[in-house]
Amino acid sequence: MKILVTVKRVPDPDMKVRVNAEGTGIVEDNMKFVINPFDEIAVEEGLRIKEKKGEGEVVIVAIGPSVVQEQIRAALAMGADRGIHVDVDSYPDPLNTAKLLKAVAEKEAPNIVIMGKQAVDDDYGQAGQMLAAMLGWAQATFAYKVEIADDNSKATVTREVDGGLETIEIDLPAVVTADLRLNEPRYASLPGIMKAKTKPMDVFKPADLGVELSPVLELVRMEEPPPRKGGIIVETVDELLDKLRNEAKVI
Amino acid sequence: MFELQEGHRMIETAMRQFLEKEVVPLIDDLEEGKVLPYDIMRKMAETFGLTEMIKARFQKMLKKEGKKSEEEESEAGAFGGPGFDPLIGTIIGKEIARVYPSLGLAMGATLGLAGGTIMAKGTPAQKERWGLPILTFEKIGAWGMTEPESGSDAFALKTTAKPDGDYYILNGQKTFCTNAPYADIFVIYAKIDRGQEAKRDKRFIFPFVVERGTPGLSVSEPFKKMGMKGSPTGAVYLDDVRVHKSHLLGETEESARDQAKDVFAGERTGAPAMAWGIIERCLEVTVKYATERKQWDRPIGEFQLIQEKIARMYVHLENVRNIAFKHAWAQKEGKKITMKEACAAKLYCARAATECALEAIQALGGYGYMKEYRVEMLMRDAKLLQIGGGTDEIQILNIAKELLRAEGLEVKLGG
Ligand SMILES: Cc1cc2nc3c(=O)[nH]c(=O)nc-3n(C[C@H](O)[C@H](O)[C@H](O)COP(=O)(O)OP(=O)(O)OC[C@H]3O[C@@H](n4cnc5c(N)ncnc54)[C@H](O)[C@@H]3O)c2cc1C
Repeated sequence: MKILVTVKRVPDPDMKVRVNAEGTGIVEDNMKFVINPFDEIAVEEGLRIKEKKGEGEVVIVAIGPSVVQEQIRAALAMGADRGIHVDVDSYPDPLNTAKLLKAVAEKEAPNIVIMGKQAVDDDYGQAGQMLAAMLGWAQATFAYKVEIADDNSKATVTREVDGGLETIEIDLPAVVTADLRLNEPRYASLPGIMKAKTKPMDVFKPADLGVELSPVLELVRMEEPPPRKGGIIVETVDELLDKLRNEAKVI
Repeated sequence: MFELQEGHRMIETAMRQFLEKEVVPLIDDLEEGKVLPYDIMRKMAETFGLTEMIKARFQKMLKKEGKKSEEEESEAGAFGGPGFDPLIGTIIGKEIARVYPSLGLAMGATLGLAGGTIMAKGTPAQKERWGLPILTFEKIGAWGMTEPESGSDAFALKTTAKPDGDYYILNGQKTFCTNAPYADIFVIYAKIDRGQEAKRDKRFIFPFVVERGTPGLSVSEPFKKMGMKGSPTGAVYLDDVRVHKSHLLGETEESARDQAKDVFAGERTGAPAMAWGIIERCLEVTVKYATERKQWDRPIGEFQLIQEKIARMYVHLENVRNIAFKHAWAQKEGKKITMKEACAAKLYCARAATECALEAIQALGGYGYMKEYRVEMLMRDAKLLQIGGGTDEIQILNIAKELLRAEGLEVKLGG
């Protein structure tokens, strides 16, 4: 069983993010970066599948500048077997991400690709679906539970849908995207952290994978949300209605 | 050398997540003694793979296999040997101290003091019998040096071990002993009592291992104290406790005897890590608070008296961190830290931690005095660093003694 798991480097969601003065990105000084939390869940699921099967390989792939190797090693420290770093200067848009991942998936021929349902930095939530479509594979998004058939031919995936759960069966290979409740990722163990340094990591440029990047999105401007204002207490229902109608313009 | 490497930062991150999740919700119960720290240590060791690592390493050490492969070396963990990275322990200690110093003290006493003494002084059989179960947290250790009438003047201790054939008979009392109320394995320092002559030589003391349940051994209830409330402290009573001579660490009186300068060495090493964690946390809380809290319509961080506190805390953080890095470097390189260096480090770290915690309380005003921000707890806990493992005064005396001796002036700690 070969399991390909994608990880993205994102700012620590527990830290305060500030937009830079030019509005072109965030201030990175003193920021801590982590594996996108949904991707961490994907790594955990990959490891659990391998452990349950008693055999297999968990391969981590990350796209970005060389610093993303930190996140690959963090996943290796959790127990993944090897890493692939697709070396590009900046983080591509979802379509180009999917193109690069398609090339990696074709090269690796995994039984399953597990991804986070979205990255918490840009919140697009598109790469998984696009990748499945490009590969012509089945997809199961927002996974809550994943079970692999003994012969690795199928997976039964319970998905989080509005107001409940939906269980589907898909043919493998397939793309699965992890939702929050799929599992609780383990902590990297000390021996795991020490071993991570010695695990293999391949580095490819897009050209090595036969991919030419053609951006379809342009980041025009980034802005911080307006600071939250304190609430007010209204005296009467009429006043409330008036404010909702004329100030908030919601009715 | 003066910064954390990627692997260190991974450990830091993982530890912080674990402690936030597993310890923070328990702090009130731990402070009140309703929950003991030992299961937390066990869970931590299990979660981070320490137990397995220590066991594997231990087996190899016992077998004294000649060549170690690269991988084995890079996996070296909680205790010495090639490839061993002392910063790992520092980071773990620092992360614990950020959140709950009591846990660090209780852990330091079992692992560092009791476990460390057994691993340093014990024979291979003693290491396997008592050292291993302590290192894996299966058993909890306590280390008893201090007595009701001897603290700083540790070598004035009165506990005796009287040889009796293949046995020793121990009598005496220990106090302020961390983990004593719940420990399974006690390292007890005593003097050899051979009757009239050569009786109780003041220069030498000997570590014995006594197991819980040995007839004549009893312990007190946990004492009530100012801080470090989650680390149970108590007395140990030894009343004709008969132990086989194999309980003398090192097994011969020659190899077992401890000289003055070794004694507090182990206790001192935990101070930089503990101070680092306390100061880092206090500074973080203060900086955040200073940007959020407004008086006179301005964040209090705009007031220069608050800025001075922040800057001073940062200077202490820098210094304490550099001390920790230096110690780790020296340990890794196999270089000896001199007595005065170790004492200077402990003195500085202990004072800096207390000062920063007090200043954090001050910067937070009434909120700092309340429990919610935990800086009042850190202050109470930091104060222990100035007392345990040799008081500030004793560090000062040791520093001066060594400096003066170099110029030919011999002075005694006892004045
Ligand atoms: C929470 C806690 C946990 C502890 N855990 C352990 C443990 O696990 N095992 C253990 O063995 N001990 C432990 N101790 C004991 C600790 O090591 C002693 O408290 C410490 O060494 C000081 O001894 P003392 O309390 O007897 O003070 P004393 O030695 O009586 O000192 C009283 C005061 O006199 C000062 N003083 C003493 N001699 C001189 C001098 N020559 N010149 C100037 N000033 C002097 C001291 O600095 C101090 O201010 C613990 C203590 C505490 C508070």
